[in-house]
Amino acid sequence: MPKFIVYFAHWHEDFRLAELEALTLLEDVVVEYDRASYTSKSPFLIVEIESALQAAKLVRRGILVRSIVEYWGSGSTYDELFAEVRQKPEKWTEYKDSSFKFTVDGFGKSLSQEEKISTIESFSFLGFEGPIRMKNPSAEFLVCEEYGESSKPLSLEKPRWIWFGRVVGRGSRDLIDKFDVKKRKYLGNTTMDAELSLIMANQALARSGSLVYDPFVGTGSFLMTCSHFGACSMGSDIDGRQIRGTAGFRRGVDGINANLKQYQLQDRVLDTVVFDVCHNPWRDDALFDAIVTDPPYGVRAGAKRLGRKNGTIPERSLKVVDGKESHKRTDYYPPTIPYEMSDVVNDLLEFAAEKLVVGGRLVYWLPTVANEYEPEDIPAHPALRLVANSEQPFGGWSRRLITMQKVALIDADQRMSEQDSLARDPAHKNFRDRYFSKFKRGLEDNSVID
Amino acid sequence: MRLITHNMLKCHVKNCKNPDKQFPLQFKDVKLEQIEAERNDEFLVRMLPRLDWSALLKTTKELGIVIPEKVPANPADDDEFLQALHTAILEMHVKEGSMICNGCGHEYKITKGIPNMLLAEHEI
Repeated sequence: MPKFIVYFAHWHEDFRLAELEALTLLEDVVVEYDRASYTSKSPFLIVEIESALQAAKLVRRGILVRSIVEYWGSGSTYDELFAEVRQKPEKWTEYKDSSFKFTVDGFGKSLSQEEKISTIESFSFLGFEGPIRMKNPSAEFLVCEEYGESSKPLSLEKPRWIWFGRVVGRGSRDLIDKFDVKKRKYLGNTTMDAELSLIMANQALARSGSLVYDPFVGTGSFLMTCSHFGACSMGSDIDGRQIRGTAGFRRGVDGINANLKQYQLQDRVLDTVVFDVCHNPWRDDALFDAIVTDPPYGVRAGAKRLGRKNGTIPERSLKVVDGKESHKRTDYYPPTIPYEMSDVVNDLLEFAAEKLVVGGRLVYWLPTVANEYEPEDIPAHPALRLVANSEQPFGGWSRRLITMQKVALIDADQRMSEQDSLARDPAHKNFRDRYFSKFKRGLEDNSVID
Repeated sequence: MRLITHNMLKCHVKNCKNPDKQFPLQFKDVKLEQIEAERNDEFLVRMLPRLDWSALLKTTKELGIVIPEKVPANPADDDEFLQALHTAILEMHVKEGSMICNGCGHEYKITKGIPNMLLAEHEI
């Protein structure tokens, strides 16, 4: 099969292969590559795909993919690279009269305009006679000099490797700007950034025909990104003020609805409902294709569920006030109790095992204390298979995007495998207390989690 | 709130366990609005087996929305059926009103299209 170079964004490295795997399923494209050839230190991966059209299709939704390039040659020097390109002149003659454009990138070094121009001129042996067009050329070529990631990139005189080929497709990195939280009419103080929200939609395999649910919907970021890709979506939250936008940032703009109007997603973001997912009203055989969520960690926005601390104050909901039982008054709000992180996650897995279709996906964030984390901390369930576990590190702690797939129907007696076998607590247990006792002091603003 | 969502929600008050009464919830004093939406046949066909048809039939009748009594043998090829289904479950919005449980009588309020399904503390 023909060779292509996947040119990744060099960022969120631990998420890139997971996303590529999701894209192969979403787009139904057969991709072969040597997993051992992938390194988080390089933005390039050689893959084999049947055709350029299939390659373009594969990456069109990619958020961490800049482009995909038909492989023409590579080498540790230009002479090596040219020698490889010269072996297949039948490739270039096809573009003899096409309009074209050359892009020269440096990875780990910025190249001067003069360097770029002299590099482009060195390819003149290809004999392209068509016009050079910066906008919409019929053929686009990429040269990338890879110096490597280094804190002192300029210390390298020569590139480690040089890549060359024809750009045949691009990812969807422009969506990061489109969904930039700063551009949204409505947002909350725990709104997930656009790039990660979009990656989550890919992990969830959100697409036309599927129904996606977020049980901690907040300001609705994931409903928007999943529905952008064609899925229909629903959300719920214990806090209706987030949905309605009557508290927090930018109140009074009509909450989630304002964003749906702005992005014209009203047709596919079906509904948002106020309830506590611990006491949810979903009918027994209501089913979703994906559950995509950022459970409340309880650090900045305290995780809550309905309930009253045992034995403190008696129930008040039935007390008659001004001739009306208090729970029937419009200003009634039931009491809540803290919801511990490991309980949130265990309940979420249980819920997903029950409410996903077979083949459906659960995509959620799990915060962990970095130096205590072990892979077996990731909660398991007999009906759910772990598909991906991608880490976003913040120094002392990390958050991990966990993707699971429902692989079997569950029986009533087949409950979650309790993590009793762990001799210690998983690195997300009591995360809030550990977060405050360990990391709060000296944290950068951008590393404060919600 | 759209009727597809209504078709997925039941009363979940503690001790309200009669499956014939918990679902479907009965609309009361509703303000209904039709908002045109792009039809997605793939979605409609995939949702069909997940809908409770008799509940949808009962609810649409009460609201004066017409859908076929029965799902046709080949729904994917039945344009008229798909259009009726699309209108009923995706274009009709309950903007204001309540949903009442036929079992325990709990009233779930809908305000600006958003249902409040939180339970009071004696109900959990």
